[in-house]
Amino acid sequence: MEISNLDSIPGKAITRHLGLVQGSTVRSKHVGKDIFAGLKNIVGGELKAYTELLNESRAEATERMLAQARAVGANAVVNVRFATSNIASGAAEVMAYGTAVVVQ
Amino acid sequence: MELIIQFGVIAFLLLLGLVFGRAAEQRHFRELKQKELILREVLVFSEKHPPADQEFRSANLVVGSVVIAEDYFKRIAASLKSLVGGRLTAYESLMDRGRREAIIRMKQAAREAGASMIFNVRIETARLSESDSNRQALFAAEFIAYGTALVPATRP
Amino acid sequence: MSWENPPVPHEVNASRESVLAEFLRLLAGLGICVLALAALLYFAGGWLARWVPISTEAAWVGDHVIGLSGLDDAPADAGNAHILAQLQALTARVAANMDLPQGMQVRVHLSSSDVPNAFATLGGHLVVNRGLYRRMPSENALALVIAHELGHIKARDPIAAVGGSASLALLTVALGGDARSLAPGIARLVQLGYSRQAESAADAEALLGLHRLYGHAGGAAAVFEVLDDYGREHREISMPTLLSTHPADARRIQRMRDAAADWNGNPPLVPLPVEEETGARP
Repeated sequence: MEISNLDSIPGKAITRHLGLVQGSTVRSKHVGKDIFAGLKNIVGGELKAYTELLNESRAEATERMLAQARAVGANAVVNVRFATSNIASGAAEVMAYGTAVVVQ
Repeated sequence: MELIIQFGVIAFLLLLGLVFGRAAEQRHFRELKQKELILREVLVFSEKHPPADQEFRSANLVVGSVVIAEDYFKRIAASLKSLVGGRLTAYESLMDRGRREAIIRMKQAAREAGASMIFNVRIETARLSESDSNRQALFAAEFIAYGTALVPATRP
Repeated sequence: MSWENPPVPHEVNASRESVLAEFLRLLAGLGICVLALAALLYFAGGWLARWVPISTEAAWVGDHVIGLSGLDDAPADAGNAHILAQLQALTARVAANMDLPQGMQVRVHLSSSDVPNAFATLGGHLVVNRGLYRRMPSENALALVIAHELGHIKARDPIAAVGGSASLALLTVALGGDARSLAPGIARLVQLGYSRQAESAADAEALLGLHRLYGHAGGAAAVFEVLDDYGREHREISMPTLLSTHPADARRIQRMRDAAADWNGNPPLVPLPVEEETGARP
């Protein structure tokens, strides 16, 4: 399964365009990490727990998007975009969407 | 005694949220399925380049949006789940509903314009403002989907 | 090149596990955690409170007897003065036999309540109800009650209970609750009694003291029989207060009987002086 945020996969020809596929998840870290991040916020710097949280969420959203793409018979997803929004405090909603295609 | 009343109120709101929220969600999912079936002929893509072998009469921006609020049960269930971390399942279905509804409304707008395809579709989510000082306030999120609807030169 | 939109499986984006089942599981887990934390804090608070010197505790409390509203301390009539004087003398005799730590001052008060009860409270105050005094069949029995309460004071159970409930109040505040709405409830729970372990320890201390005072532990079991009878007669009023402060269960009475038998068979008991205003003992 190839993923790209170009309109095409270079060197390959798209034979079928299968439309929008999307994956999303809402995740949070456990309360201990939230408290630690709150303390870390005083001195600034990277909040490793939240970096990790968003990476995990993005990975899961991508995986779900790919699951949809596989289900419609695609072998690549082009023009992929990520969007992150904050809903509850300490939780991250991550969305990945793109167009499922068949390439040759 | 006061404590019992407080817990009673919370339990009542939870039950209310659970019963009505769940019924509304299941009804919404059924509606989404129906509408998606009806709007199947409007095709959506996130790509920027429309098909080169087809001619289009016009292109216009179409937008679909919806604001969805959580219910009390989802709120408590999610805040409980955030204590241990992991997927907030209560919100995942909410997000799914919001996004699909926004896409459906965008497709409806496109069909009214006579379009057959929507290109360069983007989806965004925004949390509606809510006073952060008041923790009791429920959140609502806006889901918006937009893209360029292409009207074919010759109607099939 | 074809352009199409086959139906996509939307269910991948929402986990299909039941939110309600998960919620109930988490709620149960949270409940267990909070209870465990409360128990831990209660015992830690009690343990810490026992380190407060008795003189400091007495200075904090002063002459105020916590937990008593209808205090009948001032001798209103000759009968009360007489009973109080007698209680004070008996307490002094019992205390002399109980190895109380240095500087531990015990002050006895008489309450006009007719419920057969006695309790030790903060600052080394000991309150005996008239109802208890009236119903005790012998001085030995009364001495046992006093020795039991002195056992609580010696073990610092009153301040431990306060320390424990104070840390519970802190937990309530930390969890976002209103401590003022919870505190009275907790205080009432605490007043219901000390732990079974503390009661047993006080019983053991009391039997030891009684034995030292009289040379035997006869008459001890009678206390619990009186309380038990009263509880059976007055089912409508606060049974839990009587029974959990002093659980008059069969095993406890049996232990008292065993203690009496171990140590001297069936020795003669010291009678209490006849109460002046009624002229007769029930």
